[in-house]
Amino acid sequence: MLLEFFRLAGQSILHRRLRSWLTVIGVFIGITAVVALISIGLGLEQTISDQVAGVFGVDNFVIMDESMFGSEAHGGSAEEYALDLDLLKSIEGVKVAAALRQHNGFIQAPPDENGVYPPAAIMPVVGLSPELMTEFTSFTGELEVMSGGRLFEPGDIDVAVLDYEISQRLGVDVGDTILIAGDEDSELNVTIIGIIAPPEEEESDSDESSGGFGMQFEAGSEGDTISVPYDTMELLWGPADDVLVTLVRTEPGYDVDDVADRAEKALKERGSDVAAITYSDISDMIGTVMSTVSAFLAGIAGISLLVGGVGVMNTMFTSVLERTKEIGVMKAVGAKNGHVWTIFLIESGLMGLVGGIVGTILGLGLSAVASFFIGRFFGVDMAVVASWVLILVTLVGSFALGAFAGLWPARRAAKLPVVDALRYE
Amino acid sequence: MTLLRMQGITKDYHLGKTIVRALRGLDLEISQGEIVAIMGPSGSGKSTLMHILGALDTPTDGTATIDGEDLQALKERQLVTLRGRKVGFVFQTFNLIQTLSAQRNVELPMIFQGLAPGERHRRASELLERVGLGDRVRHRPNELSGGERQRVAVARALANDPEIILADEPTGNLDTETGNAILSLLKDLSDNDGKTVILVTHDPEAAAIADRVVRLRDGCVASESGGGR
Repeated sequence: MLLEFFRLAGQSILHRRLRSWLTVIGVFIGITAVVALISIGLGLEQTISDQVAGVFGVDNFVIMDESMFGSEAHGGSAEEYALDLDLLKSIEGVKVAAALRQHNGFIQAPPDENGVYPPAAIMPVVGLSPELMTEFTSFTGELEVMSGGRLFEPGDIDVAVLDYEISQRLGVDVGDTILIAGDEDSELNVTIIGIIAPPEEEESDSDESSGGFGMQFEAGSEGDTISVPYDTMELLWGPADDVLVTLVRTEPGYDVDDVADRAEKALKERGSDVAAITYSDISDMIGTVMSTVSAFLAGIAGISLLVGGVGVMNTMFTSVLERTKEIGVMKAVGAKNGHVWTIFLIESGLMGLVGGIVGTILGLGLSAVASFFIGRFFGVDMAVVASWVLILVTLVGSFALGAFAGLWPARRAAKLPVVDALRYE
Repeated sequence: MTLLRMQGITKDYHLGKTIVRALRGLDLEISQGEIVAIMGPSGSGKSTLMHILGALDTPTDGTATIDGEDLQALKERQLVTLRGRKVGFVFQTFNLIQTLSAQRNVELPMIFQGLAPGERHRRASELLERVGLGDRVRHRPNELSGGERQRVAVARALANDPEIILADEPTGNLDTETGNAILSLLKDLSDNDGKTVILVTHDPEAAAIADRVVRLRDGCVASESGGGR
């Protein structure tokens, strides 16, 4: 019987083609806006996630100061924290751990050819685990040294790698020795083994590999740092209490989140206020932010859905009024109130559904076009997401919207006394 | 056998604050297979009586029974069921659903009774064949002449094989010749199918096919006489 009611409702809609279409337009404008905004939001989220995943991989996590990501996250620049790198390396499931610590130190460059020492200067000294440059290039980017030099290797102690700019400032080259003064009269002569090549002049459309969303810790490429091996820092400034970031790779077969949790716990027991951030943490954060933004935008677009719903209601009231006699006839030939009610509800629901179908198609199209332009603007490949869940929810929802808007008119139709309805001219 | 029994029927309508009494203690009995013409001037209560005879409305007072069922004892839903099964309506203005084909119009009462599609389809085709519209089943009402539309309406009235055919001015919108064709169709239903046919009419031709003519005046039966049948 229900199928028959769908046929009756459909025939009635087709009979009033122009008005039905106008009503449907009112619905699909809203649906288009909602679907497009949500799809663009999902596409952005996926794009960002893909970029982050490209940096993180599936088996890495990052350890940062707790205030960066904890409950009191301020999202500002990295805070320093204490770290026991050996403890971290000993945790089951940790394959490689590499840290970066930074301290300001007095730097004394060698004398010039006349034997005159240039004035000493305070400069940031960065300690890098050698693994940072070999194992975690997705985070650090490829560091290139100028010809004749090299990067750190395991076992290096009294060596340094300089940025090009600072090497110019100090007037040093590969093979020269500089003095770094640490705490409590500790000082060390280090040999310069490499100079980081200066960044090439960036072209306007930046390269594709490190796109605009990349999360990169470009260690030692700020232009004014002196890099030494991580262990060397301990000789100068003692145990690490000035770590900015630690990168960890897990052994295959271990769950990254599990290892990260255990690492965080173990380090906290040692008094380090740190948070271990895995890809899924980042992805959750991005998801939360993006969903909030999407929901907000979709909510605004939802207002137009409300207007569409009122349009359906208006059309249905008109329809009930002009079909009063028809309702009377249906009741005279045996239609129960429930039958009339159902037919009118289906009719308004169908108008909503057609609006939903058209709106979904247009909305997805719009989001594809918008993604193309957003992608071009940021120089990334924007993911175009057509979520089946979204489509299904939209279609069911649009039918429900139409039916809901038709509730009141349909009730009025159902309650019409048959005698009055038959008499209606 | 008495199919319809009206005893002391009154019916009041509220028009704003005034109460209009359309029927004033009307008594009437109609037997199975009879053709009864109900006549009378405007305002005599014809339409009101027809509504009660067709279980479209219930009386304010008095007892109205259709095939032994007391209308006042029935709930709205039960009234609808009774009407759907026992009464077929033919209206002056045909009252077909404009958006539906002749076939679908005839199927409509069967849809509400929950008949299976195949059964419904077969029966609607048979009925349209019977009223002489076997070749017009796909036509919409606006593609049919007045006489054809009224034939569709008669076929629709027969859809659920009711015992009572209630025709409200069935010839009122038709020319004499077409009207007579409809009347002979209705007469045939009584003659061959044993249907009880009630004609509410101004048309003397209609009275000519009736067994009995009931004249109303001021909400009461003023006179009864034999019809031309």
